[in-house]
Amino acid sequence: MTEATANVGAAASVALPVLIVDDHSIFRSGLRADLDAGLHVLGEAATVDEAIALVIELQPRVVLLDVHLPGGQGGGGAEVIRVAAPSAPHTLFLALSVSDAADDVVSVIRAGARGYITKSASGAEVSDAARRVADGDAVFSPKLAGFVLDAFGAVAGETADTLEELDRLSARETEVMRLIARGYSYKEVAGSLFISIKTVETHVSSVLRKLQLSNRHELTAWALARKLL
Amino acid sequence: MLRPRLRLIGGVCAGFAEHTGLPVNAVRTAALLLTVCGGAGALLYAWLWVTVPSAPAESGRFATPLPKASLARPARAAGASDGQFRSGPGAGWAGKAAGAGSEATAPKLGNAILEGASAGTAVGANPRAAPITEILLGVALLTAGITLVASRLGANIPLAVVVPGIVVLAGAALAWRQFADIRSGEAQQASARLVRALGALVLVVVGILLFFVTGSAPNVWTVVAASIAVLLGVAVVIAPWLLRLARDLADERAARERESERAEIAAHLHDSVLQTLALIQQKAGPHSDAARLARAQERELREWLFADTPTGVSDTVDLATEVRRVSSLIEADFAVHFELVAVGPSVADAPEALVAAAREAMLNAARHAGGSVSIYLESRPSGIELSVSDRGPGFLIDEIPADRHGVRESILARMTRAGGNALLRPGPGGVGTEVVLTLPAATIAAPGTAAPGTPAEHTIETRTT
Repeated sequence: MTEATANVGAAASVALPVLIVDDHSIFRSGLRADLDAGLHVLGEAATVDEAIALVIELQPRVVLLDVHLPGGQGGGGAEVIRVAAPSAPHTLFLALSVSDAADDVVSVIRAGARGYITKSASGAEVSDAARRVADGDAVFSPKLAGFVLDAFGAVAGETADTLEELDRLSARETEVMRLIARGYSYKEVAGSLFISIKTVETHVSSVLRKLQLSNRHELTAWALARKLL
Repeated sequence: MLRPRLRLIGGVCAGFAEHTGLPVNAVRTAALLLTVCGGAGALLYAWLWVTVPSAPAESGRFATPLPKASLARPARAAGASDGQFRSGPGAGWAGKAAGAGSEATAPKLGNAILEGASAGTAVGANPRAAPITEILLGVALLTAGITLVASRLGANIPLAVVVPGIVVLAGAALAWRQFADIRSGEAQQASARLVRALGALVLVVVGILLFFVTGSAPNVWTVVAASIAVLLGVAVVIAPWLLRLARDLADERAARERESERAEIAAHLHDSVLQTLALIQQKAGPHSDAARLARAQERELREWLFADTPTGVSDTVDLATEVRRVSSLIEADFAVHFELVAVGPSVADAPEALVAAAREAMLNAARHAGGSVSIYLESRPSGIELSVSDRGPGFLIDEIPADRHGVRESILARMTRAGGNALLRPGPGGVGTEVVLTLPAATIAAPGTAAPGTPAEHTIETRTT
């Protein structure tokens, strides 16, 4: 499934170079056709091993990464990130999944993915999410936001006292997550809270960092205990 | 060696003649002579009669494909009735025993097809299984015959050893037949089985005891021989059970392997089906029928795949589960997609008023906005908040005619009666509508307040015409 396109035109050079990693060829071709013109698909990979090789070879800016992948050590998308990321310092990973299982998603997020989006998202949404990831922001689906609220005990009223604290969300982060869980876009969150989009993005990135670095035991235990997030 | 269908008595002589190539008449004469001098010929004849299987009715039947069941597990005993059918009158117990004994020797398609359909006993075509019953019975009969002949001829036969030996052999044969039946999985009455097992056991024990008692003055060797004999007797009785155990274990392991293989296939299949369904939704757009169907299928598949609590806890319905159920019902009728995010500990007993009001809000969103509708459910220590937000045209509560009960009655008044609150406001970014339902924790705990039962309970008529 290695089909790196050779004809990188002038228009494509300014486009965002992405790599599609998914074990279903139907999904790959469908997504490829759906992505908007701002994205340039460098190649496709179907297994963990192919993905690792291609990420290192092509150095794409964003990898659209399926959570469940065959091959490798059986680690799926998370394994791709762990193995390939050190050799591709400028590559960012956006997790795609049909699975809503918390442990799946959290495992790729904690391996280093910059966001998570469901596969039922439209091509435009995926393109938008990929661009956002490329800009250094995090992409949270409503379900991931709901999971974060739950896992950090935000609904129970726990709030972080300092900015450095990793195991709890700040009051503002909780509000942002709550609105994202309601299906608000970043712009709508910004409008509702009377803050700038950039601030919203900062909050989301901060939450992502906590999600990746926190040792809060709910993050692992909770994800396993509950099937859906 | 097979006994032909065309036969004089039992077809033994004809079969033997065919097998050895000797003329039939010579064989018959020899058999008669043997019978005359001491009865050995009769015994031999009887043994061959019960142990040698009949030739199949039509050899062409062999080409008939076996029933599937017999491939999976070759049923061994074609049944006692089969044996009786072949051994004519007078064969008595020997024929009966041989009926089961001949189980493993040859396929008797003619009989088995008649039986197999109803009794489920397939053709016992298992050439590798040793015909233990027949051998034991044969040895017993042969011993009896030879003893008879020898004693007639005046030889000094130690009857004290031979008689118990014959009994032991017959007992062992009975036991074996008994367990062959068990292993074949034939439905048998427990009492009959017990009686026969006990009978076999008693025969073995009696034989051994006889051997011991009637022996010459006990010395070391008779004692050793007797104990070995007892051990052997017990082993013979127990062996079939052990065999059956091992066989059941192997069957179970095979079944488990099949099961895990099936699960793997199912997982793979469902994963790819989920992908395809996601793709269809993506391509078809949120308002199309195709997307609606795909979504319904996806939901069903997901529920089946991730049904983690199949146990019947139906009396206490989790609020999130209930809302999800309602949303899937509405999705079946409208081009809408609800995305439910539930946060916080699960609410065990879904407050009826809240579910009913949420249903109204969801129906409104489905009917007037469609597309993607977000449902956010948060259960806090202080209470429950449920919001339904769509991206439709939106509306203001003041614009609703007073005679329209949908929003006013089914949502606002119902929540107020339940001790909660309902708020209608423009959706995210000023687009669409957001209905926020809140229910303080105090009202949830108090019973009765949560189930007002309004007249508008079942009206789904809402804000427009």
